[in-house]
Amino acid sequence: MTPLRRWSLVALVAALVILAPLLPRLLPASASDVTAAELLSRVQTSGERAYSGYVETDGAVQLAVGDDFSDLAELFGDRMRLRVWWQDEDAWRVNRLLLSGEEDLVHDGERTTSYDYERARAVTSRDPEIRLPRTSDLVPPSMGRITTDGAGAEEVSRLPARRIAGVSAPGLRLEPTSEQTTIDHVDLWVDEDTGLALRVEVYAGASSTPVLTTAFREFSAAAPEPAQVADTWSGQVERDFDDTVDLADAANQYAPFRVPRRVAGLERRTAGNGAVGVYGTGVTRLIAVPLREGDADDLRESLLGSPAAVATDAGTLLAVGPVSVFLTSEGFSYVLAGTVTDETLLRAAEDIVAGVRLRGRFE
Amino acid sequence: MIRVELSKLLRSRRTWTTVLLIDALPTLVGVLLAVTDLGPRPGEGPAFLSAVLTDGTLFPLAALAIVLPLFLPIAVSVTAGEAIAGEAAAGTLRYVLVRPVGRLRLLVAKLVAAMAFVVLTVLVVAATAYVVGVTLLGDQSVQVVGSTSVSGTSLSTPELVGRTFLALGYAMLCMLGVAAIALFLSTVASSSLGAALGTMSIFVGSSLLLTLDASEAIRDYLPTRYWLAFVDLFRDPILWRDLQAGVILQGTYVAVFFAAAWANFATKDVTE
Repeated sequence: MTPLRRWSLVALVAALVILAPLLPRLLPASASDVTAAELLSRVQTSGERAYSGYVETDGAVQLAVGDDFSDLAELFGDRMRLRVWWQDEDAWRVNRLLLSGEEDLVHDGERTTSYDYERARAVTSRDPEIRLPRTSDLVPPSMGRITTDGAGAEEVSRLPARRIAGVSAPGLRLEPTSEQTTIDHVDLWVDEDTGLALRVEVYAGASSTPVLTTAFREFSAAAPEPAQVADTWSGQVERDFDDTVDLADAANQYAPFRVPRRVAGLERRTAGNGAVGVYGTGVTRLIAVPLREGDADDLRESLLGSPAAVATDAGTLLAVGPVSVFLTSEGFSYVLAGTVTDETLLRAAEDIVAGVRLRGRFE
Repeated sequence: MIRVELSKLLRSRRTWTTVLLIDALPTLVGVLLAVTDLGPRPGEGPAFLSAVLTDGTLFPLAALAIVLPLFLPIAVSVTAGEAIAGEAAAGTLRYVLVRPVGRLRLLVAKLVAAMAFVVLTVLVVAATAYVVGVTLLGDQSVQVVGSTSVSGTSLSTPELVGRTFLALGYAMLCMLGVAAIALFLSTVASSSLGAALGTMSIFVGSSLLLTLDASEAIRDYLPTRYWLAFVDLFRDPILWRDLQAGVILQGTYVAVFFAAAWANFATKDVTE
């Protein structure tokens, strides 16, 4: 065999092995005639559908919010690999895969257990009315429901179908009409039969690159085995119970304040009488959380560490891509954050400062 | 010919010195952990290292995670990089080829010898780590049969042993990919140092590219992409996705670079 033929053979082998994995991606997705409004409705009502799969997320929001909110910064600013088994809203398991272990959430009725392999610890807590975002909110079906929450048919249009995790998925574009949001549009590709979102891309401003992408790489619409969503920890795992899930839940339960029902024209989402308020719907959403003095000082320092931070008499503002954060410096220290414009956030902060009341024995 | 190469490998003082040096690092880590009782902070150390303070039987896996990203591939690059270029530089390649054996068989024998070095090193590291783990590490006050999977469920001892051997086999396959690249460069370079450095630059470059968002399109083809996927064997249920991709990718590297080594070496002029 001549050298030319030998090298041709090597080139052929190399070309075959490089191209082989690309072939499944070249399969065209089949067109669908489902309307945008119908697809939106299916996404919004898909909460009780079962599924399982492997998800990859990619966030580009670099939040400089200090140690107390470092989980949030990871959630929206990092790549994550997740495995999910979802029986229904009451029974699911979401495992965050790490090179050095796993951080898992197992939900059973009103309780959620958070497991950390490297700490060999599983902490159970009741599911609160108000909490900070967590990994289970980032799986595409949850993200699809969160972003389309409250959206109307006039805000959606159809996109061509794409093949996602082997499923031919019709596309949906949500362009919010609210002028208070920083989100330009959200693109979703949906399993037509179940209404489960398989891929969600969130865009802010005029950028052609999504600020957050979450997508299935493997997907099954079959119900997972009960054992896969069960609480089955080994005897070597330390078990514990915590009264609070996170900082927002703790503040909501124990801070002696009551937030107003409406800020910056946005209605409070929760009926409770707590110290934390979540306002707005869909992608026009903000949260207001009271902070202790020490926590507020730490957060202020973190925010001011960013060159984009703006300090005023009223507080400190930092807008990072689609997320704006404002820490008040008048009255009680409240941090407000959300996918709303700076003007909306500042108005909301004014309304919080003016409208927050003491509650319980402090009234 | 394979027997000759294996015999040369096992009788070489340098082989055993390299194996012992690689083995020394995880052993030192194990002793330090045992003395100080200080594990790495969550998310900061190699896989399984935080768990060995309560379960010493996991230390072979932690040892593998310590040596796999850097020390083992360096040793494999040096060993396989010397295969042809070393013989040529020493002036012995001409005499080897005078014997009535084909050049393809010589390449196969060199690759088998490099693989034997990998198997030997991995087994020595795993065995030493097991002894260190069982005798020095682990919480002796906790009497629990079996271990805990990365997902928090129980793993019986047979399951742990089976998965540990699968992890060792997977690591060996990853190193076979390194050996194939080094063998090819050994047929191209005129010195073994050049072949070894060339191989190292490929996997260091690959590790660097993996950290860049801009390299997204080529991530899945980078040789180090799935090296640490053996951790997925200890999840419950096992996540086969990256392991399967890793096996296919390493098989591809072995096939392509071994074929390239053969294409280059089959009619290469050997004058030294």
